[in-house]
Amino acid sequence: MSVVAATAIKKNFLTALKEALIEEMERNPDMLCIGEDIGILGGAFGVTEGLQERFGTQRVIDAPISEAAIVGSAVGMSLNGKTVMVEMQFIDFISCGFDQIVNMLATYHYRTAGEVDMGVVIRGPAGGYGGGALYHSQMNEAWFAHSPGLKVVCPSTPSDAKGLMKTALRDRNPVLFYEVKQLYRDTTIAEVLPEGEHLVPFGQAAIRRAGEDVTLVTYGQNVYHCLKAADVLADQGVHAEVIDLRTLVPLDEATILESLAKTHRLVVVNEAPMTCGFAGEVVARISDRGFELLDAPPVRVTRKDTPVPWAKPLELHVLPSVEQIVAACHRVVRF
Amino acid sequence: MITMAWSFVVTPNGAATDNPAPSGSTQVLSPRPSERLTSEEKREMLRQLYLARYFDVRLIKEKKKGRLTGTLYSSHNQEAIIVGSLFALEPTDWISPIHRDMPAFFMKDMRGGWDRPGRMSMSVEEVCCQVWGKVGSPGRARDNWSHIGSREKRIIHSTSMLAGTIPVAAGVVYADRLNGGNAVVLTYNGEGSTAQGIFHEAVNFAAVHKLPVITIIENNQWAYGTPTELEYSLPDFARRADGYGIPGLVADGQDVLDVYDKVMQAVEHARAGHGPSIVECKTFRAYGHGDHDDDRAAKYRPRDEVEEGRSRDPIAVAKRRLREQGVISAEEAEQFMAEGKGAGEAKDADFPPEVVAYLKRGVDYAIKSGLPPAEEGSMWVFREDHS
Repeated sequence: MSVVAATAIKKNFLTALKEALIEEMERNPDMLCIGEDIGILGGAFGVTEGLQERFGTQRVIDAPISEAAIVGSAVGMSLNGKTVMVEMQFIDFISCGFDQIVNMLATYHYRTAGEVDMGVVIRGPAGGYGGGALYHSQMNEAWFAHSPGLKVVCPSTPSDAKGLMKTALRDRNPVLFYEVKQLYRDTTIAEVLPEGEHLVPFGQAAIRRAGEDVTLVTYGQNVYHCLKAADVLADQGVHAEVIDLRTLVPLDEATILESLAKTHRLVVVNEAPMTCGFAGEVVARISDRGFELLDAPPVRVTRKDTPVPWAKPLELHVLPSVEQIVAACHRVVRF
Repeated sequence: MITMAWSFVVTPNGAATDNPAPSGSTQVLSPRPSERLTSEEKREMLRQLYLARYFDVRLIKEKKKGRLTGTLYSSHNQEAIIVGSLFALEPTDWISPIHRDMPAFFMKDMRGGWDRPGRMSMSVEEVCCQVWGKVGSPGRARDNWSHIGSREKRIIHSTSMLAGTIPVAAGVVYADRLNGGNAVVLTYNGEGSTAQGIFHEAVNFAAVHKLPVITIIENNQWAYGTPTELEYSLPDFARRADGYGIPGLVADGQDVLDVYDKVMQAVEHARAGHGPSIVECKTFRAYGHGDHDDDRAAKYRPRDEVEEGRSRDPIAVAKRRLREQGVISAEEAEQFMAEGKGAGEAKDADFPPEVVAYLKRGVDYAIKSGLPPAEEGSMWVFREDHS
């Protein structure tokens, strides 16, 4: 096999994340990883598999089950010069470390008037559609987008997962990194990763599909629901543009406004509950900055304001669907 | 309730007894590290007790005169904990003080001189600027009272979430160890915060990783308006240490030498790589939770309990012990009679002149300093120039 062929192998989302962690651990001797079962086991999903063997128990730390102590100690390590990757075994468990994130980590730079910066990335598997039930299905990104001082990232492709993770690990601001666990081993989205140093900047949305009639703004797993909806809509003569935000904080308003200058219609999709969800924030920002661009009231497609239930019919009943996205697009187009 | 708490560690004349050996499996290195202190060092401890007390007295007076706004959290009657524990540290060690330890922010690394260049501490001017909410505060007055810190001076920034800095302290010394350092960290906590989950989670984390984290519990018998019997059900927190497999020590929090002995034992234990300890310092909160609470505290706390709790002033206890050891003369013990006096009664003449002058410097500086410019309110949410 030639060298070219060997590097042209398609890689899945999980492998891309692991490559990012390994490359940054190699590049930065002051980087540490900490979490539950991330060392000996290699993580519940295997994102950190092999890291402890490679970098040792001092740098890849198996912590007792305490999200609060894990985040708090990562804050201390960062205070003393380290960059720390914190794994939440499931992003649902992040609530156990909530105080340390929003009151300790997020505010550190602010309350020290810039004396201290925090190189802490908190990452973990997130999202529904997998039968994970109430405590293994959450998307709770809005809690943290609402807490000043935190950046919030949610990639949808393997190459973004790698490039955004590497950017996160070099950012001296705390980053919440939402990984769609349903995508970890999804072979249909596996791709050849860019060669060399691959960094994806924060605050730059990606246009996943171009269209003139309606703008679909989304992120994470819902990117694929929106792309499917766009296929359905195209057959019906409606051309949707699909924007993948990639990062919620910072938010790329410019790309959305440019799209709306063309489509004049906005549908925002996220799988978190509607009330105070990030879709609402996008709608509000666009109403502030681009109201005159809109020919129809913007529409949100989100989870119902419920927890995520277990049994399949229940789960699908509350989470946003392709059909709902299609219907929402028709609604704004026909307005 | 308080009588039971005292009886464990203190004889009726106020001298510390030999405590039982600390629980946990590890041998204590020196039973009485204070025996190695020179007479001059012991006199310095007494001087620092006056300094910590005068800080408190002066701020209360300033507020009564209307020259200061904001809530004061008095450390009156708890100064032996601050002075005795800080005396056990090296300059490169870290501390994590809370609201009841305000003098610690400028008294760290003071053993070798109050104005030594390069002292690993904030200046009294900076701390006074913080109290007055002026721009010269280390945190540029972005958060109030004790919510300051300094990475450079190795003081962890406190927040209102009590016990929440213990995991941060653990992370700091974890990193220090990787950096090749040998620093320990002292975290200060009220007994009230021991009911928080993070207290347990962080001490357990430190114990598992054998981190040099010394958790001081300033047991002043009251968590705001809640007495100890409604806070915990153990006679001593030393027993709680058993649950983590680490040493637990109990100190007479009114006796600066006993605090020094117990904290120094914990420091030596940590420095030798044996990991964390809990040091409970039994004391009594002299006033309300904050000065806003003084009037109500006078009602919710029985008068005889307050009188008993304040009956062993740390300055008086130190004088007695230093007198017994022949460190100070009878005449010296009669000088500067600040002990037993509240802020209303204490006069500048009750304190050594250098103490009064030192604080005056800080207060004058703070009063003359400016407020932060309004636009700073929206600055430093994010670090913009990340690389």
